This record gives sequence, C-alpha cells and structure tokens, in this order.
Amino acid sequence: MIEGRLKVYEPKTDNVKKFLDLLSQRINRQIVSSMVGCVHCGMCADSCHYALARPDDPTMTPVWKADQIRRIFKRHLDWTGRIFPWWVHARYPADDEELNRLKNIVFGTCSACRRCTFNCPMGVDTAALISFTRGLLTEIGIVPEGIFNVCRDEWETGNQMAVTEADYLETLKWMKEELQAELEISEIEIPVDKPDCDFMYVINPREIKFDPRSIANAAKIFHFAGERWTLPSWGWDQTNFGLFSGDDNLGGYKAKNVYEAAKKLHAKRIVISECGHGYRATRWEGYNWANYDQKLPTESVIVMLLRYIKEGRIKVDPARNPEPVTFHDSCNIARSGGLIEEPRWALDYVCSDFREMHPNRLENFCCAGGGGLLSMAEYRPLRLEVGKIKVDQLKATGAKLVCTMCHNCVDGLADLIKHYKLNMKVVQVLDLAANALITEK
Amino acid sequence: MSNFLRILESEVQIAALIFMGTVYIFRLIWMFKFKSPKERTFPEGSERAGIAYSLINVAMPWAMESTRKKPGFYAQFVIFHIGVAAAISATFIIPYAPSVFKIKAVVLLFQLVIGAAFIVGLMRLYRRIINPSVRLISTLDDYLSLILMILFFAAGFLAVPNKYQKAEWPLALFFGLTAFFLIYVPFSKICHYLYYPFTRFFLGKTIGHRGVFPVKRNLMSNKFDRYERYPMRDRYQGDSS
Repeated sequence: MIEGRLKVYEPKTDNVKKFLDLLSQRINRQIVSSMVGCVHCGMCADSCHYALARPDDPTMTPVWKADQIRRIFKRHLDWTGRIFPWWVHARYPADDEELNRLKNIVFGTCSACRRCTFNCPMGVDTAALISFTRGLLTEIGIVPEGIFNVCRDEWETGNQMAVTEADYLETLKWMKEELQAELEISEIEIPVDKPDCDFMYVINPREIKFDPRSIANAAKIFHFAGERWTLPSWGWDQTNFGLFSGDDNLGGYKAKNVYEAAKKLHAKRIVISECGHGYRATRWEGYNWANYDQKLPTESVIVMLLRYIKEGRIKVDPARNPEPVTFHDSCNIARSGGLIEEPRWALDYVCSDFREMHPNRLENFCCAGGGGLLSMAEYRPLRLEVGKIKVDQLKATGAKLVCTMCHNCVDGLADLIKHYKLNMKVVQVLDLAANALITEK
Repeated sequence: MSNFLRILESEVQIAALIFMGTVYIFRLIWMFKFKSPKERTFPEGSERAGIAYSLINVAMPWAMESTRKKPGFYAQFVIFHIGVAAAISATFIIPYAPSVFKIKAVVLLFQLVIGAAFIVGLMRLYRRIINPSVRLISTLDDYLSLILMILFFAAGFLAVPNKYQKAEWPLALFFGLTAFFLIYVPFSKICHYLYYPFTRFFLGKTIGHRGVFPVKRNLMSNKFDRYERYPMRDRYQGDSS
C-alpha cells in the first residue's frame, strides 16, 4: 500500500536539486505572495510563543524562520535574488546538512499555530510557508523520525496509531458493555457500519488506545439525544499527519478514506470528535488535498452537542461540574477552523464556574504541542521551555480544570502541567457534558 | 528654471514612471503564472466579507494584537506612509500644478508631514540597527530602501517650497532621487504595496470562508464574554438539514 508513497531519505541522490524542483512544481500563488510580501518589520516576533519565551534568541522569530525558506525561493525563483543574491540574502542550500538544519527549524521551532499570521500587517501566512517547507522536506525523506513513523502507519493501516480492526472493534464492544452496565440500559449501542444514519462519527485513534471513555461519553450523549449514528469500520480516523508533515498526498488519502466511508454508508453528515488538527484536516483542508468536492455537512461533535441542548433533546445540569474551568482554544480549531464561541456556549451549559483565559480565542497561545511536536521527541526540551507562555496563562486563571476540544492539546497541556507542577487537570468538553447529562427519567 | 531641471522634473520622471509601470506589469504576469488554490468545502462565512476585512485591516489598529499593544509603532507606520504619499504628491504638484505650493500654508503642511516621516524613518533605521531580531533579518535592500526613503523625505522637505529661483539643487536632488526610486522600487521591498492586495486577499479568502474573518469586534473585548453568546445560539436551532 505504501509503495512509492512514503518517501525515504536517499543519501546518494542530489537532494538539493530534488528539493528545488519540488519547490518549483508545488508553489502556488498564495505561497508566492507570502514569500514576496514580507517587509521585515519584525512585528510578528511578539506574537510567537517561541520568540516570547526566548527573547534573547533572534532565531526564534517567525520572520527569521520563514526567511530560511524565503531565501531559497528568492535565489531560485525571484528576480532580484537570482541576479543579485547577496543583496537580499538569497541563497541555495549547499547540501543535505543544510536541508537537515532547515528541517530542525520548520519542524522543531514552529507549531504552525498561525498566531504570527494573524498579527502580520501584510497578511503574510508564515504558518503556510512552514507547512509548505515541511512538505518539500517530507518528500525527500528529510523528516523527524516521529513524524515519519506516524506517516508510515497512516499509509499502511489507515490510522495514525496502527490500530488493527480487531482492536478497534473490541474496544468499541468493551465500551458498549461498560455503558450498558453503568446505565443499566441494554439498548445502548456503539454501532459500526450501520447504513443510512443521521451521521457517521469519526474519531482519533488516541481514543481507542488511551482514552476509550471519550467514545463512551459520546455514545451516551447520542443515545439520550435519540440519535441514529454509526462509526465506520474503515475510514474512522479523522486525524491526519498530512497536516503536520505537509504531505498533501497523505492528507488527501486520509481524508478521502473518511469521505468515502460516509458515502458508502449513506450517512447524512460527518461528525468529528474533539480533535484540533483532525477537525481542521477533515472539515477544511482534506477536501482540497483530496480534490474532493464536499457533498456532506461536516462538523464538530460540539456543534451536535449544542444542537441537542438547544432542541431540548438532552438535559444537562451545570451544578454537576462545580470546579472552576477554563478553556484553551486549539489553534487549528479557532484560528484555522472558525469554532470559537461554540465550545464556550457548551461550557456555559455544562459547568457552573467558567473562567476565561487571557488572551483567548483567535489570540490564544498554542499549547506548545501543536504542529505534530508531540510526536517529535528530539524537540521536547524546547517545547517544554517555550510552553512557559501557556503555563503563565493557565496559572492566571486560577482554574482547577483546563478544558480543550483537542486531543493533541490534551497531551500538550498535560505535559506542561506535569513539567511545571501545576495543580490542574485537563478535560474535554464531552467529558464535562457527559458528567452533566441528566440520565434519570 | 534651467533646462536640466525642467527635463529632470518632467521627461525623466515620465520615462522612469513608464519603466516602473512596465516592470510592475511583468511582475504581475509573473505572479499570475502561479496557480491559485481551489476551495472545495462548504463555506461557514463570507469570502467577500473576509477579503474586505483583511484588506482594510491596516486601518484597524485595534484588530491585531501587534498593533493594539504598540500604538506608538502603529502611529509611526501611519506618519511614515502619509509622508510617502505627500512626497509622491509633491513630485506631481511641482511640475504640473506649481501654483499649489505658492500657498504658504500648503507648503508648511507638506513640510510638517514629510518632516515627521523623516524623523520616523530615522527611528526605524535606529531600530533596524539596534534590535538584534530585526538586525538579523535585515538585508542590504532593507537598509538601502530605508536610507533612500529618509533621503527622499529630506529632499522633499527642502523641495516643496519650489524656490528654484534661489537654488535649484534641492529640486534637482528631489527629482533625481525620485527618478532613481522609480527605477529601483520594482526590484526592492518598497514595492510591497504591489503584494499587499495578494497576501491580504488570500488570507481574507481562506479565513473568511471559514467564518473567522471578519472578527467580531465584541469578541475581542473580554468584558462581553458572557453576554455576547446568547443571541448566536439560534444558529443551532434545528438546522441539521
């Protein structure tokens, strides 16, 4: 299945030439505009958690990081850079060693959170440049091992944690039985491959491997809402390392699995469980990567939850979640996904002491684990160091629970909480919603 | 007025302007040679509204944290660019509508604006040299562009009274610099105004499509946190079709 798709590093190849050829082939007008649009004003520095956490290191600013690909673009494609390269810092990478350094910059010192993009007076999309560069490097196999391994698993097994079909079905069965026992309702189901449902639910493999309770929480809510829903046996993983590796082919392949599964099951919509990059990849980027015109409504489970509450299909009691809760906006969901108020409305219904984090919404800081950084062990020390910006935000809320609707952020925040010894716990919106759900008649 | 100055103010400027325009046309052709990405998803917001919001973002210092938290820096930006507009206007007023600069108040206003821009230019140059982050990314083009602008403002300040009877050198310097600018600008970062519509268009289109732009003003004011949510809940009422 992965023959010819997963690219491995070939030391005997002229990788610099390959890189430059790919650059010419893949670049589009949107990327070109961000390449040429920067005026080097440096305004982006104060928006980046790396630059803020390391104010004395000028290589942490978004503009410097973007300039590392920009200088190659200028030398290769731009007029002034081709004729007078020394005038505009234009330069070809000398060898694979330099490409490797570029890898460490674009994978290791940027979570592509897009905070700098939103703070650039010119509208330069530095995060898009970082993703574009990641894609070029991935194509020649110069990629962090952790990212490579997950991409391999996605190509080979269709999910990022190489969960087998047997494990998947067994976990779902186990969760169904737990729910039936807990609620003493024998009709409660976690259906798989049920056709003609109101929606097909897609999840993060982390839910199968480490957090199956989140599937049970969703199933519980769907049951009480009287929903006709199903999970697919193939195409159930909404996560997508195409977003982190910049490999649009992988992104398209993964996303298409989901879209085709929904088509096959005649589902009326696709509902995405709580996951930041999964939501962005499945709702937005995936259709474009796969050249697949969207046919079905595709939305977050939080939107479904709000609909149930609004329509009176479920009843919730916020008093069941009395602890102070704050909310962390996932970058992929807020800045790149457009779900900003929805989780707040949901929290307002299901918990009684909500405290806003500052800054928030489009200006929230990354959990420091975004952009696939959680899977790249070599950059962990820097990730934890720059996570101090997030930690300061968390501390200031005085909350005991930090809620997020992203599995990646759950792990990123939990890592920071452990490292900085905060007295906090990370939860997701459905955890709180399931706890607040009134199941008694 | 000497023949040299007359030609410099008129024919030379027109020739340089035609050169700049021609290079810009080639530059735009080059930009349009690259494919534009296609959007295949259902919209959550309006692309048009997103693009409009993105394009006028520059006039909304409250919209971005970077400008909201640094009003002084934003004020510098405004002064600098008004100075640019005034100096460019002067290059047309002097040869084609010289009577305008016979009004003392107009001359003083132009000198005030261009002089302020000159001071901002010096501040920006100082920042570029002193700030390690900005210094590291600065190219020779960045320095020369800024130094040229500072010189252009200085020359413009001296030229706007248009007293060629007393001395021609301020006007010769101003128009000489202008001609050089018109030829150099298309190859330097100064032509960022040509790219601004592109970067802003794409950001506004992408983010507007997803319903993120235009950012609602009240969402950014934290004191409204608890009040702003309720009216929007209606969006989720029975819209599952």
